[in-house]
Amino acid sequence: MSALHSLLAVARSDFRERTRRYSFLLTLLFAVFLGYATATGKVLLQLEEYRGIYTSGWIGTLVALVITCFVSLVGFYIVKNAVERDRMTGVGQILAASTLSKPAYTFGKFLSNFAVLSSMVGVLAVAALIMQFVAAEDPNVNYWALLSPFLLLALPTMALTAVIAPCFETIPLLRGGFGNVAWFFVWVFGLSTPFFSGKHWLDPLGLITVVDSLSAEAKKAIPGYHGGLAFQIQIGQKISVAENLRWAGISWDVPSVLLRVAWLAFACALALFASLIFDRFDSYKSAVAPHSPSTVAVAQLGSASPVNFPLAKPVHLTPLVASDRAASFFRQLRAELRLALQGFGWWWYAVAAAFVIAEAAAPLSASYGIILGFAWIWPVLIWSAMGSRESRFAMRPVLFSSSRIVPFQILVCWSAGFIVALLTGAGTLARLVIAGRAQGLLAFLAGAVFIPSLALALGVVSESSKFFEGLYALLWYIGPMNHTPGLDYTGAADGAHGLSFAVKYFAIAAACLGAACAFRARQLRGN
Amino acid sequence: MQLVLEQLNKDYRGKPAALRGVNLSLGSGVLGLLGPNGAGKSTLMRILATITRATGGRVLWNGMDIAKNPDSLRAVLGYLPQDFGVYPNLSAVEFLEYLAAVKGIAAGAARKRIAELLELVNLTDAAKRPLGGYSGGMRQRVGIAQALLNDPQLLIVDEPTAGLDPEERVRFRNLLSELSGERIVILSTHIVSDIEAVASSIAVLAQGQLLAHGSPEQLLAGVNGKIWEVIVPSGEVSALRQRFLVSSTAHRADGVHVRVVSAAAPASSARPLEPSLEDAYLATLAVQRDRDKRAVA
Repeated sequence: MSALHSLLAVARSDFRERTRRYSFLLTLLFAVFLGYATATGKVLLQLEEYRGIYTSGWIGTLVALVITCFVSLVGFYIVKNAVERDRMTGVGQILAASTLSKPAYTFGKFLSNFAVLSSMVGVLAVAALIMQFVAAEDPNVNYWALLSPFLLLALPTMALTAVIAPCFETIPLLRGGFGNVAWFFVWVFGLSTPFFSGKHWLDPLGLITVVDSLSAEAKKAIPGYHGGLAFQIQIGQKISVAENLRWAGISWDVPSVLLRVAWLAFACALALFASLIFDRFDSYKSAVAPHSPSTVAVAQLGSASPVNFPLAKPVHLTPLVASDRAASFFRQLRAELRLALQGFGWWWYAVAAAFVIAEAAAPLSASYGIILGFAWIWPVLIWSAMGSRESRFAMRPVLFSSSRIVPFQILVCWSAGFIVALLTGAGTLARLVIAGRAQGLLAFLAGAVFIPSLALALGVVSESSKFFEGLYALLWYIGPMNHTPGLDYTGAADGAHGLSFAVKYFAIAAACLGAACAFRARQLRGN
Repeated sequence: MQLVLEQLNKDYRGKPAALRGVNLSLGSGVLGLLGPNGAGKSTLMRILATITRATGGRVLWNGMDIAKNPDSLRAVLGYLPQDFGVYPNLSAVEFLEYLAAVKGIAAGAARKRIAELLELVNLTDAAKRPLGGYSGGMRQRVGIAQALLNDPQLLIVDEPTAGLDPEERVRFRNLLSELSGERIVILSTHIVSDIEAVASSIAVLAQGQLLAHGSPEQLLAGVNGKIWEVIVPSGEVSALRQRFLVSSTAHRADGVHVRVVSAAAPASSARPLEPSLEDAYLATLAVQRDRDKRAVA
């Protein structure tokens, strides 16, 4: 009973703390935006070139899919700070010294995360109901068909996202930026595994259940339909309403319900597993050198002679003269680069060097393509620290009381990020110069300018590295990895349109840099 | 050099004002800032360090409004915040080199200054170790070194001796005394003995208001003849506390020695004592509390 009480207290206080933050309002606004985008046809559930009538079942499933496919990814970045916040604020030390058990703590954090994500599910469930009235394609509201996808599809998926976040936070390797990037790949794996394997029990998002139920119905209603189903963002594709397709929603049978409940149970089990690896805020580093033994003899109690401290070191500080106070862009750039590159092992540099050699040695199409793509994901943790490092390490008061932070320090920081992009892409850069590919070179430079600009803007605005890490991983997957024109920020996918690509990306970079300066100036002005 | 605070206010939405009409004029020397928790000390320090803006009044540094031209002060400002962090993967030397570059100090001068500062704060031996492995006291000393990096004319230190061992605390107090000759030092702390040791003037803040400002002698003169020692059995201490302001108690063989602040002798057996700064500080707060009570009544 006491353990349950503690667990609920952790969950409740964490949930209260989050919901009283401005960012929670933004989270709900994000859910409203997703609901709006879905209601206005920006997100589609498409059967080849058709969609069904907006029945309760269709709308409920469509919006629930928005949650399982989008919110499951983004939600991780929203909730992944529950343990970290306790670590940073020092509350963790107090909790660690209490009788609170590790399972109660991790389970409590899981419940709090789940409550935050469930509130988004709640907002979107209301949006789905409104959507059916607004669309007015089917006047009959079937509440079970409308809401069961939220209950059985969305909530178990949210539970998984809610539990993976504290799991990542308890594993030292996954706690920081590496974990934020790794989550994207875990998510892609979770999304694609059921389709590769064809196994229902390997479908954490419940997608096969939707596909099976919907395509069976569509085959009956749409002549010539082959079974293709896509869930995607509307980007101008032609779509018609199949008037005969009045889908009643997912036909939930006992095995499919049990499977969804099993994922919920798996999430609970993972929360308990996280407690096994949770260090209970014992962050003592063995690297801390023991204090050298004191040379001062310990005074005996009641001893007449006090301990004699060796205090008399004279103060010799050479005053600075006017010529010593000379701002130097390059000296600060060198310091900023050193700060950015510190903390990486030799292997990190070895891999970066290997990419540069591969860029120089491979055919230009591969060099200015897949290899540059990989070379420009490798320094993601360097870029993601830009603009947020001061907040992460509580250095803002010291730094912000220095002169010339805006724009000088911001530009220096940006330059360090730009240099990292140039260095990691040096092989491709050299190849483009030698080949005389002027447009390619321009597009490459636009990409190298764009990355640190985006990183700096997101870092300064969010005061966190995780938003850049999440967004950049997504952009990297869609752009350079899938060679998507316009979104491949290396410029390689735009080929002959390198000039227009460069203009667009230079403009975006300038806007990002402007935003970073404006927000930093606002932060400097204080509140 | 002169720092002037004119009718300084700081309001937070929905909360009591953090600062209310604070006026101060400071020349070179150490100003000890005293006050209970929530008095507005840290807010005042943050405004002076250009981190936070006042909502009313102004701060003039050599005649220049720091809200309009913060960089004029930042160039000659050293600031040690109460809560500050370090970059854990940098060594002390690298960390200070980074901040020296940010503060626009020439490379040669920075190297020399950093070496001197590390010796001053007794970190030369650990200078090349990553800061992540430093103890709390060692980090605090790095903080002190960074605050002195640009040879500041205005040095603001918020609870600087927190986490320092007694030896380092005394060393730091000595350092502040040495430095105060040619600059303004503002020292905020709860440790009255730190202020007693180094401050040339003292300001007492409570509930955002400046209750007193003057030299230690002026503050002490206010309670001269009002400090008494009474020796009572331990059972009577509580009753004494109900009637008088008790600044300290000490259990001895002959009973409890109670230090009382009172205009008149609290008992016929009471013997007058030399006032301490702590007595003067407590008396100042007590007078204000009394005024507030009367105002409410």
